[in-house]
Amino acid sequence: MDVTPRYLGAGSFLSRRDPRVLLLVPVLYLVAVAGVDDLRGVLACAVFALAYYRAAEIPWRGVRANWAFMITFVSLLVLVNTVLTDAETRSGGETLFTVPLTGTDVTPGTLSYALTLLVRYVSLAMVSFPVAFNIAPSDLGVAFARLGLSHRLAYGVDLTFRFLPSTVASLRGTIDAQRVRGFEHSRSRDPVRRLLSLRPVIIPVTVNALLDAEDTANAMDLRGFGTAKRRTWMRELAFDRTDYLIIAIFSLLAAVMTTAKITGLTGTVWVPFT
Amino acid sequence: MTGLSDKRESIWAISSRTVVFGAVGAALYAVLGLFSFPIPGTQNVTVRPAIALVPFFGIRFGVVAGFFTGFLGNTLIDIIQGYGLTYWNWSVANGLVGAIAALLWALLPRFGNDAVRLVAAGLTAVVANAIGLLFVITDMPIQGISFSTFLTVNYAPALLANSIAMIILVPALDAIWEPLARRTGR
Repeated sequence: MDVTPRYLGAGSFLSRRDPRVLLLVPVLYLVAVAGVDDLRGVLACAVFALAYYRAAEIPWRGVRANWAFMITFVSLLVLVNTVLTDAETRSGGETLFTVPLTGTDVTPGTLSYALTLLVRYVSLAMVSFPVAFNIAPSDLGVAFARLGLSHRLAYGVDLTFRFLPSTVASLRGTIDAQRVRGFEHSRSRDPVRRLLSLRPVIIPVTVNALLDAEDTANAMDLRGFGTAKRRTWMRELAFDRTDYLIIAIFSLLAAVMTTAKITGLTGTVWVPFT
Repeated sequence: MTGLSDKRESIWAISSRTVVFGAVGAALYAVLGLFSFPIPGTQNVTVRPAIALVPFFGIRFGVVAGFFTGFLGNTLIDIIQGYGLTYWNWSVANGLVGAIAALLWALLPRFGNDAVRLVAAGLTAVVANAIGLLFVITDMPIQGISFSTFLTVNYAPALLANSIAMIILVPALDAIWEPLARRTGR
């Protein structure tokens, strides 16, 4: 069982950036594309997302399974909601064909809107993946602290990553110990029975972790954790000119797209060939 | 003997204990959250037993620890599985489940009877789940889905799957932790 975050983009252009940039860009991009129904608007945004993703230099081999799942899931969602059924469809132009059984009329507008949703979601993933693969886990705590999160909670983020290996070790040990006592994970199709069968693993792992946490909390109290108003961090973060430029570009994108939304430029589905 | 756990500290406190228990909860959720199994007869409903940890940490260790466990735990699962912040709103929803469980529990009277307390803990978790998961309505503007899709594809399956795990595991966790909490003076 591997629960270690994978730092696949080490050494890339994005990995050399201040981690706060990688946390802020998805937020700004979300502001830019949310609610945009015009395919041309979303495609314009996707160009920025693609350039950003390429700068992350994440090896394809490491993420192809993620992309396969993501694209399959989103495609099915979009196809079912906008094309096969009329749950969330848009029309525009002449009917190209009618879906049998559901009777949904598919027009160029329907297909344009479906593509808009697909591009929107895939491009959101492009700016979100670098958070998983281009930020060193040890930088997340300080990044959140510098973004304004309480330094105690930011330290909690760091602490969580430190607890991961010991929690996995505890889980392995507990499973082995319970197997010696005859534990076997249920293969029943009944979810309640399967849940009940997991109790001998989940409960000891949780309780042991809580008891160990008492020691950690006492140790932190003895060292005066949280008594100082400000906390220093081993890792110093500072935006450089390139960081500011990236944030400025995505801020501008968010501002332009928001203005376009407010003025109604991107609120309607683009119907090609009309 | 009066249960020491009756001496409830502020549910909003951010102490070293809150931070540590929140961090432990998030790590546990991230690790145990990798266990999941589908409900037969449904298309995409999977039960994630570790979701029960979120309201349990909220009930036992307060709003901050509950939110931290749900939000950071779910974010970590996404990071480990490689999705980054793509499903950030689901992480917030998970965090809200923990925070709301803490708030609801604080509103309830103290229970003298263990059986009643366990039933109340299970029900609190389910109600917190129903309220907290409503945050995924943000999928409507983000993914461009309709209300009916949100309800039938996103909300209802998650509500069902989480509730099954919570109603079974939250009382079980609380029943084990209560005597230990008394013993350790928590």
